[in-house]
Amino acid sequence: MNLYFGDILPYMGQLLTALGVSLGITVASFVIGGVLSIAVYAGKASSIKLLSLLCTGYIGLFRNTPLLVQIYLIYFGLPVFGINLDVFQASLIALSLNNASYCAEIVRGGFNSVPRGLVEAGEALGLDRWTVFTRVTLTPALRAVYPSLVNQFVHLFLTSSLASIIGLPELMHAILEINSQTYRSIEVLAIGALLYFASGFLISLIARVGERFLFRWAVNV
Amino acid sequence: MDAFIEQALGLLGAAGWTLLLCLTSGVAGTAFGFVLGLMQISKNPALRWPAVVYVTVVRGIPVLLLIFFVYFGVPLLLGVNLEPFFTGFVSLALVGAAYTGEIFRGAIQAVPRGQSEAATALGLNAADTMFRVILPQALRIAVPAGTGFLINLVKDSSLIGIIGFVELTRAAKILSNLTLDPLGAFLMAAVIYFFISFAISRVGALLERRLTPQFGARKPRVDDPALTPTGH
Amino acid sequence: MITIQNLHKSFGDLEVLQGIDLQIDPHEVVCVIGPSGSGKSTLLRCVNGLETITSGSIVVDGIDIGASKNNLAAVRREVGMVFQSFNLFPHMTALENVILAPTRVRKLSKSEAVERAEKLLARVGLADKRDSYPAQLSGGQQQRVAIARALAMEPRVMLFDEPTSALDPEIVGEVLDTMRALADEGMTMMVVTHEMGFAREVSDRTVFMDKGQIVEIGAPADLFSRPQHPRTQDFLNKVL
Repeated sequence: MNLYFGDILPYMGQLLTALGVSLGITVASFVIGGVLSIAVYAGKASSIKLLSLLCTGYIGLFRNTPLLVQIYLIYFGLPVFGINLDVFQASLIALSLNNASYCAEIVRGGFNSVPRGLVEAGEALGLDRWTVFTRVTLTPALRAVYPSLVNQFVHLFLTSSLASIIGLPELMHAILEINSQTYRSIEVLAIGALLYFASGFLISLIARVGERFLFRWAVNV
Repeated sequence: MDAFIEQALGLLGAAGWTLLLCLTSGVAGTAFGFVLGLMQISKNPALRWPAVVYVTVVRGIPVLLLIFFVYFGVPLLLGVNLEPFFTGFVSLALVGAAYTGEIFRGAIQAVPRGQSEAATALGLNAADTMFRVILPQALRIAVPAGTGFLINLVKDSSLIGIIGFVELTRAAKILSNLTLDPLGAFLMAAVIYFFISFAISRVGALLERRLTPQFGARKPRVDDPALTPTGH
Repeated sequence: MITIQNLHKSFGDLEVLQGIDLQIDPHEVVCVIGPSGSGKSTLLRCVNGLETITSGSIVVDGIDIGASKNNLAAVRREVGMVFQSFNLFPHMTALENVILAPTRVRKLSKSEAVERAEKLLARVGLADKRDSYPAQLSGGQQQRVAIARALAMEPRVMLFDEPTSALDPEIVGEVLDTMRALADEGMTMMVVTHEMGFAREVSDRTVFMDKGQIVEIGAPADLFSRPQHPRTQDFLNKVL
């Protein structure tokens, strides 16, 4: 059993490009899913029974079924309705919807932790509900769950590897392709693992540093 | 309608395999994870560091990658060719160990220090302290996270289909190719997964309620992120 | 300015306010004192709708609070509130805290709001803290910013809910001084407080509440030196 990493060298460029695709789709689906999650949270917390039920159902559906099934449903199932998506679109939509369901719960924890007094102060000042939601409680809520959101981002990055199964040319896909070309399975998988791990680690690190910059106002908290 | 029932039964059969896979790898992973949890809080660096490294690395790479590692690696390294089920079992157990390792670590550390101090003061040895005093309390703390872990395990098992084992998701894929009805097949699979998760959540809630009276009316407060139900 | 008639408020089975009648005139300073659980904070919070009324009526500056949502919004524009726990918006500077409501509710332009805010911050003695975040301010400073924030809406009435209870004793003075100055300028104020000295010196009338009812009202000179009701005497003996 001999390991020879040299065979992988010529493919490093391909791996790094594929890593870029993984990161790209992660960022895109995190942002889209993140914004969606705030809306879903608001919907779930709203007093309109039907809306609240729909949002609860959506969260329950996407958190209790495998991401792979969700990807299959969107990529293979939607064409039934005439919606034909390419692998990029299907991956983006599936990952965004999946991410939104997790972020909605995270965000809910954040909003629950905002002291009721802030809402009362806003109301006492005559601010309308939309302003209280967006200008008063949103930022402190996000600040409270920032670490969880970072974890979710890294998790999304790792699970984006599932998009390889429908052919998205991201990192996992590249690893498997190189494997089939060089048969250096352990080597390419090890390098791939290293790339995933190092990226996740760096993201967490940068996020930690960024926290102090993003939330300058939370000096003592 | 007959076709529907036939298909549903087929998928339910595959779901049975999913559950078997999850049960076996869950038990193995939890046992291994328990050891890892103890190792992580050990005062001996020779025990602590390998465990910390293992848990951090396994949690920092995609599950799919780990599955392929086992799938390609075991034949190459050990010269054995594994059945897909066994490959799945090993992969999920390895992943499970890392996650339950964190859960055990967090739960044991969440038990107030005074408990082990009292046990030692009473003259109990280390084994008795751990198994009679600390663990029962840690178990209660670990239930929400443990429930989340099991649900994640069931979801991760869907990836074992990629290497050829016919679990629920792969069965749905095969079905969709046969019937040319991907929507129906995957929706049926989704519903089955949902019910499995729902059942696990219910059992978890029941377990929580059963265990709580032992520790007074209040639920123990824990801040460790490893112990939240989302698991990740 | 504020007319409260036969106000009842229940939380489930617990009746916290049992028929309150109170009239506060313009420019009047009314202090509400009493033991914990007497319902004084609840009464205050009913005036700007933070607590809903079970029965009875509250009319502020001619507007009946309970009549409609629009009325409630109108009342909140005219009534400023200062909370025991300050409730400053932590992610905004002092200045940003003060300009938020004027720009969003009174529709002031940003420059007009900033001008007003700077004047108010100077008035409470915190002009140099305009760009500080609440976490960087002491409790007393935060409360003074909170007062400026409420004043920025140019309210007809100011409500104070135990404004100094959460402050260290040395700092209480600076907030009370700010409130005293406000009273001297003619602001209509309703203050729930434990600071008997302040009630005695600044209020035009003091209200003593116990167990959800107004037990006694009077000019502080009378109430504090010659309390009529035994429960008032009891309470004052304990706290003074």
